[in-house]
Amino acid sequence: MSHTKVKTNSFADQVRLIPGGEHLDVCFACGTCVSKCMIQQKAEPEYNPRRLIRQVMMGREEAAFTNPTTWMCSGCDLCFPACPQEIHISEVIGAVKHLAIEAGYSSPLETVSVDEGLCAGCGICGMACPYEAPELIIKEINGSMDRVAEVDSNKCLGCGTCVSACLTGAISRPGVSNSEMKERILVAEADNGQPNLMTFVCDWCLRASADVELLESYPENVHVIHIPCSGRIDPEIALLALRSGIDGVLICGCQPGECHYQRGTLVSACKITLLNLMLGRMDMAGGRVRFVQIGTRDRGRIKKEIDGMLELLSPQPEVH
Amino acid sequence: MAKPKVAFYWAASCGGCEITVTELGMKLVEVGDLVDIVLWPCLMDFKYSDVEAMADKEIDVCFFNGAIRTSENEHLAKMLRAKSKTMVAFGACSHMGGIPGLANNYDKESIFERVYDTSPSLDNSAGTRPGISTKMPEGEIVLPSFYEQVKTLDQTVEVDYYLPGCPPVAEQVGAVLGVILEGKLPEPGAVIGVGKKTNCDECERTKRSNGHVRIKAFKRPHEILADPEVCFLEQGLICAGPATRAGCGLPCIQGNMPCRGCYGPPEGVEDQGAKMLGAIAAVIDAKTTEDVERVMDTIVDPLGTYYRFNLPDSILSELKYGNGNGKQ
Repeated sequence: MSHTKVKTNSFADQVRLIPGGEHLDVCFACGTCVSKCMIQQKAEPEYNPRRLIRQVMMGREEAAFTNPTTWMCSGCDLCFPACPQEIHISEVIGAVKHLAIEAGYSSPLETVSVDEGLCAGCGICGMACPYEAPELIIKEINGSMDRVAEVDSNKCLGCGTCVSACLTGAISRPGVSNSEMKERILVAEADNGQPNLMTFVCDWCLRASADVELLESYPENVHVIHIPCSGRIDPEIALLALRSGIDGVLICGCQPGECHYQRGTLVSACKITLLNLMLGRMDMAGGRVRFVQIGTRDRGRIKKEIDGMLELLSPQPEVH
Repeated sequence: MAKPKVAFYWAASCGGCEITVTELGMKLVEVGDLVDIVLWPCLMDFKYSDVEAMADKEIDVCFFNGAIRTSENEHLAKMLRAKSKTMVAFGACSHMGGIPGLANNYDKESIFERVYDTSPSLDNSAGTRPGISTKMPEGEIVLPSFYEQVKTLDQTVEVDYYLPGCPPVAEQVGAVLGVILEGKLPEPGAVIGVGKKTNCDECERTKRSNGHVRIKAFKRPHEILADPEVCFLEQGLICAGPATRAGCGLPCIQGNMPCRGCYGPPEGVEDQGAKMLGAIAAVIDAKTTEDVERVMDTIVDPLGTYYRFNLPDSILSELKYGNGNGKQ
């Protein structure tokens, strides 16, 4: 009589040993998480959390380590309230990522980098980052010991919240660097007599594809700029846009609790509320800069927000 | 070779910039031997008519401190610009507007109302307001007019160099005087007498948890006994150090007071206040909207905190006053 020997140190066992990984035992692979996962919906339709968990259970180590979900999961935890087993799936994915890094794999994502010649070592980036990716270290730079930030590219998910918080322009990410953002806001003013609205839209807040497509349908006076997270928005960028002739700035982020990068939307709320307070103190209140937090159930809300801003910014008809 | 002619002038300022020059101590005597001072209202007796009588570009260097608040400030700025080869904006007020520039969040009328009518320490039952022109038996006497907004020096005349600080520290003033006397000034437009990065680069306070501390509530310096070894921001004290160009040698921070930002923004930042606001907002410890509101409520006077020295130089002022804010 032959017995199949039970592998005592299977890949799944290794995952179970990492805090968070133990949830693996209670997953019955219903796939409810898949319906909530924004990565599956917006970035990698071929991959999803359930598939990753199955790969772990089946011992398909390499497939799990190279699965985009492993690296892209931002811990937004939209899947958590939906899971009938109350599994923190992001923690399981985190355990897989931990093992992947130990095994020598590294993040395939576009992450931030630090120009040590510019970095002053203030540490604002580390305080801003949802994932504590930047860390302050002391190292020799140009012959003297200096305190600078160093980014763990395996922790960084590229949201850009640190880029907008950096005061010396030392920390940057291709696509959303200061110079690229400044270039993107310098748009030709539309001459169709309509107000110029600049809309910054976070890559994750619009769940319905119809809402995403709608953004393309607006005429030239509605300038849409896609950003990875509303946390990337910088009050100086909003002011620069207004100075360059833009009539209003609308920033769209996720609803708190649903923010893809956990805290970007809260940081943005703070920034834009304070900015508006200052505009008010300078007698320029009036809602020319607005931040809206769009929930996963707010289908069609983006249209209302854009149309509302356009109406607010339109020249009022003269009263006779 | 004739000694270089140097002028010092003060416009809308407090006098602190003059004091910083006298802080040079005995070095000032040496400077006095090396240059020919042609105007310095604070220390020496010259008349405006002496300067008016000079030929254009006769003065080699003019150190101009103070913002442009009145018609007299503007008149002197324009006159000294015409008479000087090199114009240096000396100190935060001429550089960015400084403390007087905070008045840009009020209009002229509300400032007058406060100063001449409603101030609690005032008895002005006659309702006297300063007039530009008053007829007296001896003739007409005139006062400068008070402008609607405070401007920086470079919004009024062309400026060659900026020497920041409220006031600039004496060591930097001495260093800049040395550079001028050696004829080694950089290309015009440069900010001089400053360091490379921001104050954090020179600050030796420690950061805890490798810089991962977030802030639940901001405090004001009088509310806590600040730990002299630890980063102010981590202690909840709003420190402008991260948003401020190095160069002062950190006298405030060494005195256990957070940086207030007088040296202006680092290279590449156009609006020091907005940039600092963005950084401070990014370090809050918040998980819900209520948390955000709670932390935000602890920031007393955000405008005065973020724009303490640079309101006239800000994009905010530019948006409010339109093209009048453009640099010369």
